[in-house]
Amino acid sequence: MTDRVAPRPWRLALPSMGGGWPLVLGLLVVGFWVTVAATVSLWPLDDPLQMVAKRLQPPSAAHLLGTDALGRDVLSRTLHGATFSIAIAIVVVVAAAAIGIFLGAIAGFFGGILGGAIMRLVDVTLAFPPILLAMAVAATLGPGLENAAIAMILVWWPLYARLMRAQVLEVREREHVEAAVAAGAGPFRVLFKHVLPLCFTPVLINATMDFGQVVLLAASLSFIGLGATPPTPEWGAMISEGAKQFYHWWIALGPGLAILTVVLGFNFVGDGLRDLLDPQTD
Amino acid sequence: MTLFKAVTRSVALATLGVIAISPVATGPALAQDETIVIARDTDFNTLDPSLSWCDTCQIYLTSVYDQLVRVGKDNKTIEPRLATDWSVSDDGLSYTFTLDPAAVFSDGSPVESKDVAFSLMRLKNMKAGASFLAEGIDGVDTPDAKTVVVRLSAPDPEFLGKASAPYMAIINADAATEAGASADEGADQSDTAEAWFLENSAGSGPFVLASYAPDDELRLAANANYFRDAPAVGTIVMREAQDAVSQMQMLQSGSADIAMQVDPDTAERVNADGVTTELVPSLNFIYVAIGVGAKDREVEFTPQVREAIASAIDYDGVLEFTLGGAADLIAAPIPPGFPGTDGLPMPKQDVDKARKLLEEAGHGDGFSMIAAYPETNIYGVDLGIMMQKIQQDLAQVGIELTLEPVTFAVWRDRVGSDHIPLTAVYFAPDYYGSGQYTGFFGMAEGTPWFGRAGGDKVEGLHNPRMAELMDEVRTAPADAQDGLYKEMALEMIKDRVIIPLINPKLVLAYRDGVDGVRYAVCCNLPLEELSKK
Amino acid sequence: MTRYLVRRILATPLLLLGVATVAFFLSNVVRGDPLASILPERQMDNPAAVAAAKARWGLDRPLPERYVVYLGNLAEGDLGTSFRTKRPVSRDLLERLPATLELVVAAMLFGSVVGTGLGVVAAHFRNGVIDHGARFIALIGSSVPVFWSGLLALYLFSVELSWAPGPGRLDPALPRPDGPTGFYTIDALLAGNWAVFSSALAHLALPAIMLGWAVLGIISRIVRASMLDVLGQDYILTARSKGASTVRILVRHALRNAMVPALTIIGFSFAYLITGAILTETVFSWPGIGSYAVDAARSLDHPAIIGVTLIGALAFLIANLLTDIAYVFANPRIHLD
Repeated sequence: MTDRVAPRPWRLALPSMGGGWPLVLGLLVVGFWVTVAATVSLWPLDDPLQMVAKRLQPPSAAHLLGTDALGRDVLSRTLHGATFSIAIAIVVVVAAAAIGIFLGAIAGFFGGILGGAIMRLVDVTLAFPPILLAMAVAATLGPGLENAAIAMILVWWPLYARLMRAQVLEVREREHVEAAVAAGAGPFRVLFKHVLPLCFTPVLINATMDFGQVVLLAASLSFIGLGATPPTPEWGAMISEGAKQFYHWWIALGPGLAILTVVLGFNFVGDGLRDLLDPQTD
Repeated sequence: MTLFKAVTRSVALATLGVIAISPVATGPALAQDETIVIARDTDFNTLDPSLSWCDTCQIYLTSVYDQLVRVGKDNKTIEPRLATDWSVSDDGLSYTFTLDPAAVFSDGSPVESKDVAFSLMRLKNMKAGASFLAEGIDGVDTPDAKTVVVRLSAPDPEFLGKASAPYMAIINADAATEAGASADEGADQSDTAEAWFLENSAGSGPFVLASYAPDDELRLAANANYFRDAPAVGTIVMREAQDAVSQMQMLQSGSADIAMQVDPDTAERVNADGVTTELVPSLNFIYVAIGVGAKDREVEFTPQVREAIASAIDYDGVLEFTLGGAADLIAAPIPPGFPGTDGLPMPKQDVDKARKLLEEAGHGDGFSMIAAYPETNIYGVDLGIMMQKIQQDLAQVGIELTLEPVTFAVWRDRVGSDHIPLTAVYFAPDYYGSGQYTGFFGMAEGTPWFGRAGGDKVEGLHNPRMAELMDEVRTAPADAQDGLYKEMALEMIKDRVIIPLINPKLVLAYRDGVDGVRYAVCCNLPLEELSKK
Repeated sequence: MTRYLVRRILATPLLLLGVATVAFFLSNVVRGDPLASILPERQMDNPAAVAAAKARWGLDRPLPERYVVYLGNLAEGDLGTSFRTKRPVSRDLLERLPATLELVVAAMLFGSVVGTGLGVVAAHFRNGVIDHGARFIALIGSSVPVFWSGLLALYLFSVELSWAPGPGRLDPALPRPDGPTGFYTIDALLAGNWAVFSSALAHLALPAIMLGWAVLGIISRIVRASMLDVLGQDYILTARSKGASTVRILVRHALRNAMVPALTIIGFSFAYLITGAILTETVFSWPGIGSYAVDAARSLDHPAIIGVTLIGALAFLIANLLTDIAYVFANPRIHLD
């Protein structure tokens, strides 16, 4: 095997839960948050952007998670935050996987100067600690969730490219591919018909496991001021506001628990899927 | 089962170990009586007096260095410091200072006129830091070792005020020259002493620099050769604590004695035994500014539109939301108590008036506006919270703000080049005097804010009356100064480009037994007055 | 194998050159004014002051020229002078590196020790309540945002319970230990200063636990898997039949063999911890490389940004290399070429 795929550590940070309940639990949690993200505007909640009560009130029956420095309802803001986090996770993972699959397949199948160039770009990108590169790119593009998403796509695609290339290299050597080539099929036909379909499973598994990590990185960027702009109720930004009002602990409680459960849910699902689709790992 | 117990026990023991250890660290400080620790978000850009510029620099430069004169405890009167007395020529163009015969630098050498000449000319020629304070200096003559004559290129009634500014520190010329410093023209490129000033000091103040590690700690030691009465404390440590919470925790645990950047919300929330918190008025203020000529403006910010924006803001609400009300309204961009600020009209919210003005201007349906501001927490005010409050206020009259918190570096670039439709920043005085404000905020060609507001890109922002008054005040007799400044303040209010919002109160927090904590215009916190029981 | 390693090691300087290039151009195209930390706000509208400062700091030169100059200096080991601290970047980094390393090593220790323990326990009680509980704790660690758990821990243990000291590395009233390692705990021990040691350890505990929790998951999982593998093998059954106690079997026989794959994971974890350290240092006001990186990025301090990126990338590359080597030693069937 050449160029063994070195997965980033967080891939391994997900302890396999073995049995089936983690998948079920994960699907339930993720399902809950996806539902919230899709329907939150229909819920009978306070306006997440407007002052609805006295500022900095601790949790009470009227405001279960209290109010923030501008008198906004923390519960409502936390639930509205799901929209941004779920959307950004989907966009980043799908875009990064698409770019990575495309470039990785080209590099693996055709090789040559183009393939070499792609892989050197992958090497340099992966030499950066991910958060440093994301910080630099996000700072270059300016504040805003869209720009944070672009930064994360730029950080993430090389992982898929490397994975895809390794897969393609392996599949290319199989007999049925060689037979197709011998039968006179064109290179693109061979690539799309005979090679790619066999490469997708590991990429898919990785993608499902990445959702949670993208949610975490997006929140981290917002926390250090490089993601969502106010008054967007994004979880990382809300925790950052809560950190400034440290003694009013409830401001950061809701968004923190939200991130924790979403990431945990995605991790359960990804892990369960891996056991389901790819039983020989672990 | 046995194994599980063994493991949990060892984990529990490990945790206990931490618990057992921590009281040692959180208990009373082990400091000697003569050490005072200040918890502070230091904003040093350097320790070189001719290059530095920051709130914390003011504290440093007034305790390690001396100036010719200093503002007294009334935060107003100019008092002798290195100069025992002084006189002004009739044309207002030359100031003669007589130096204290006893004055010596920390290396024991006498403070002489050549040191003063060196220091003032270096500040001017480095073209950085507070060099604008020395820009009006034509030259410095040294008739004898203890007499200094400063020649100005134009009369400047605020020159003594400027001479009291911390940045006008008098440096030991011999020591600095040896370290590569230069006061000549071209010093901005040839001077190589900055690195030396980060490790050494060359002043005549009560303290000397002992050590400095950026973002970590600044340590001052008593000046063994100090020529006045020795300060009551032997060591001052300034510890980096970036936010109010860390500062308060350090005070509570006794690992700091003084903190000056705790916001009122935090101070109120914490009831810390043994910590006194005092709310005092400050001379700082926070303002929003309208970039009349900003490139990405959606509508023209005519005087009518600017008046509408100013009328839509809930001023009392802003004070409440940012500082829990521990602040004062401020009328004009000159701090209260400075010349010309008596009896100015305070701003008021008037939503109906704002709506009417917008309708008249043809913006009854509203418009949107980019609001970029430095993402920072200053004087207890989180600019992000403040701007979200303004966003809500302006939304009531149909103006939709798009908030863009940016780093200070980005803010500077944007406000200088394309200008920003609506922005927010802060200001702290360098000395007692209103000229530093009119010359900075006035809408007359050539002032910094005339440029930042994009005054040269639109018609009619130049206020000829303001320019006239700025000229007039330069040669006006002393008793006419206040009146002229007041008129300028009214012009600035009328222009509605700079809209001051908050005059924050300052929380002085210190542990019982610490004495002499005072907020002063001369030096922020005069370290030489501190003592500890 | 040897050829692969040589190739990897030879590629490292080239990768670093690539990283330096990307960092150089990225930090220079960022919109913003690096003079922000050189000139006072008041002077930014003064053309003479702006021109003088640009010339002084070499910012008036064309970008390609600056790039060549930078690389020339880099080749001589000169990382330039920080716009913000006005000191050589290499000196700033050297002063701050021990703080980050001390935090990361302590987190690693916590993660390995507790992770191994959890893994052993989980394997022993396979699929029982304790197994699921242990893995749940581990999973939370890798799912929780460290900037939030850190805040919560500070509030709970430092403010409410007063068990832990506040942020920072050491009680400011105490003298900094001056020792060879730069690790406050070790230097204080070497000097025999117990007050400093206990203060340093107490300050280190909370951030290290919060950061180490994130890698605890990986380690406990690997240990559990290899324990299960090993426990089923003949020599364990033999030992058991000879009447050895459970603890003896688990620790003496099984864990020893199961540790090999766990060791390979430490490289990964180390790289992960360096990333996590940036956020942890921000929350705990830890004066290390991570908070330096954030400050540098905020003030557009080009030399510092490039310097800190290079250090980060170097640590990352070394950790990856070590992981690969460990991987090969642990799984002789895999060969790299």
